[in-house]
Amino acid sequence: MPRKKHVSVDIPEVPPALSAEEAAARAYEHDKPLTKHSFESHEHPIVRIEHLNKSFDETLVLKDVNLDVWPGEVVVVLGPSGSGKSTMLRCINLLETPTAGHILIEDEEITGSGKTDVNKLRQNLGMVFQSFNLFPHLTAKENVMIGQTKVLGKTKEEAEREALVQLDAVGLGDRADFTPAQLSGGQQQRVAIARAVAMHPDVLLFDEPTSALDPELVRGVLDVMRDLAENGGMTMIVVTHEMGFARDVADRAVFMEDGVVVEQGLPENVFDHPENERTAEFLGSIQAK
Amino acid sequence: MTQRNTSLARRMAQALVACAVAVSMAFCVGVALAPAGAQALTTNKATARPNEQGGDGVIGGENTRLTWEGTVDAGEQVESITLSLPEGASFDGSTTRITVLEGLNRVSVDGTATPAGDTLKVSFATPIPEGSLLRLEVTDMKFPEAGGDYAVGGSYVNQAGQTEALNDSPTVSVIANTPLQRVVTWLDGQAWVSAWNSNAFLGMFLKPQLIVTSLATLFPGWLLCLLIVIVAYPFAIALGLAFAFMKMSRHKPVRAIAIVYINVLRGTPLFLQIYIAFFGLPMLGVNINNTILGIVVMAINSSAYLAEIFRAGIESIPVGQYEAAASLGMNRSQTMVSIILPQTVRRVIPTVTSDFIMSYKDTSLLSSVGVMELMMFAKNLTTVSGNITPYMAAAIFYLIVTLPLSKVVGNIEKRLAHAEKGTGPRPKTTGEATENA
Ligand SMILES: Nc1ncnc2c1ncn2[C@@H]1O[C@H](COP(=O)(O)OP(=O)(O)O)[C@@H](O)[C@H]1O
Ligand SMILES: [Mg+2]
Repeated sequence: MPRKKHVSVDIPEVPPALSAEEAAARAYEHDKPLTKHSFESHEHPIVRIEHLNKSFDETLVLKDVNLDVWPGEVVVVLGPSGSGKSTMLRCINLLETPTAGHILIEDEEITGSGKTDVNKLRQNLGMVFQSFNLFPHLTAKENVMIGQTKVLGKTKEEAEREALVQLDAVGLGDRADFTPAQLSGGQQQRVAIARAVAMHPDVLLFDEPTSALDPELVRGVLDVMRDLAENGGMTMIVVTHEMGFARDVADRAVFMEDGVVVEQGLPENVFDHPENERTAEFLGSIQAK
Repeated sequence: MTQRNTSLARRMAQALVACAVAVSMAFCVGVALAPAGAQALTTNKATARPNEQGGDGVIGGENTRLTWEGTVDAGEQVESITLSLPEGASFDGSTTRITVLEGLNRVSVDGTATPAGDTLKVSFATPIPEGSLLRLEVTDMKFPEAGGDYAVGGSYVNQAGQTEALNDSPTVSVIANTPLQRVVTWLDGQAWVSAWNSNAFLGMFLKPQLIVTSLATLFPGWLLCLLIVIVAYPFAIALGLAFAFMKMSRHKPVRAIAIVYINVLRGTPLFLQIYIAFFGLPMLGVNINNTILGIVVMAINSSAYLAEIFRAGIESIPVGQYEAAASLGMNRSQTMVSIILPQTVRRVIPTVTSDFIMSYKDTSLLSSVGVMELMMFAKNLTTVSGNITPYMAAAIFYLIVTLPLSKVVGNIEKRLAHAEKGTGPRPKTTGEATENA
């Protein structure tokens, strides 16, 4: 096998981990972004991404990404395929290990030092995948129960009660005993949302939750998400190209391209009057579809 | 019954006469002879001809040929002899051949044999001369049905008319006449069986009597096959799982060990592995019970195949399953136990069942090293009977396990296909279906 060609890439050094005081102090350094979200006084961002870099082999796919998300805020991330949206989302719950930079969740640094309890962290960060990733050997109800029993240590009865509540909330109370294969894509994604919500996380990460769905099934999923945002007060980072949802529900829109946050602001500003040329081009291309 | 009674009466009369004669003789010359006290007619042997279909045993209650031999000592001549067997034996309907050898010469002696239930009296036209060998071949006599070890006893009458006891012969081992034996005997008597067997192929490959005997004889071998594979398989599964994980290990030396183990065991014939274990270990002074060693070899061999099946199964689970489990906060072992392995089990059940079928069939190779499994019994029975039918019976024993299991594999595969596509029966919904909402 030929040896890998050595290509020198400009990957920044991993900075030393922040102390708790440093981390807390930094929370005030940033200006609050333009967002519909109404802040409480002295609020800290619940997710803070600072100078995040991520490379796969020699390719740098996230280049100095900075993003703060505030408690209760709904942030929509959009951008062309391959721009690093998924990678950024996956860095937040450490499904990918950041190459450099800091990520703070509720003022706790999760990058740099090795002492983060990854499993504990992930309990707090629910994730909804593009391809649902339901457990096919379990029924809808069991899918929602398993994290509660195995990770949160709840009893079967408690977990089942919670599962039925969450399935009801996504309109699938009557399908509790169906296996994923017996459900439509939209129903599966709603079960996946129920599964994530049942853990009562502080933040929900959505990675293109509707892009694998037939068009007629998209609305049901978006309605569930809207309900979570508006009535549940859930903090959500949503990678999606659903413009209607972004306009109606999102507090802020973030446009990414080629591993860089190019533009962000109020959704209507970003969508209707994009400042960046690439943003305009991209929005034009998806609206043309 | 009447015959028996009359013969008894006759014998008693004879005995009385003999007694009287003996007493008077004893007074005259007997004193001189008595101290010798030697047996004047010594029983040498008594054997019975095997009458077991395709075997070498003597079955009770079935016609056989009893050969009795005794030596007439010096100074004695034999007028008549009475052989007796325990209750239940029957000499009725038998024919007796008398052979007398004086040195190397055959002496022609006539005689009449009188069967009477469990005794047979043979009276000689001329007394058997001293120093000669007397052989009686009694054809179509029967030992007791119950089976057991039987000695031939009895008495004889010498030239002086004295009745003397015969010493007991060495025992003849007789097999109890079982229902199976009776079935065979019944089959022996059927016209269609004779017709069937007269066909060269049918008689050689599917002889009805031998099918019946084979099924019974091979049964313990079949049980041992099942025992070997059923005991070996759980170990094989555990070992296979361990090596599957080792092969997927992050540590190169661990991976290397697993790769060598799997490749060597899969790359060499099981037959060779059996030989190495069964001939190699004793050379090292390690002597393990054949059956246990057989189980160990089968378990190790299967574990290599299962390791690959499990590894492929685990690797076929999409990475999204690991990520979904991780995103709920599950650790590695929770993910494995609750998410990955249950799905793997479903996926590998058909392949594992096929491998089980293979292993079950492969226990036949253990016959080459003396494990008393199915093939061993079949081979022995074929050698004794000179007929292929026992092998056919062995085939039946293999098939009654493999055919249903293959069917099970098929059904599971169908069910899995349904489960994957979401077709098949659905649970009842508790309320109105909400298709797209
Ligand atoms: N595991 C990986 N290994 C190598 N390259 C990857 C991996 N995951 C993503 N990439 C690359 O990183 C870039 C960003 O991918 P991604 O974050 O999935 O983009 P998006 O979600 O915006 O479409 C792409 O060029 C992709 O090929
Ligand atoms: Mg993506």
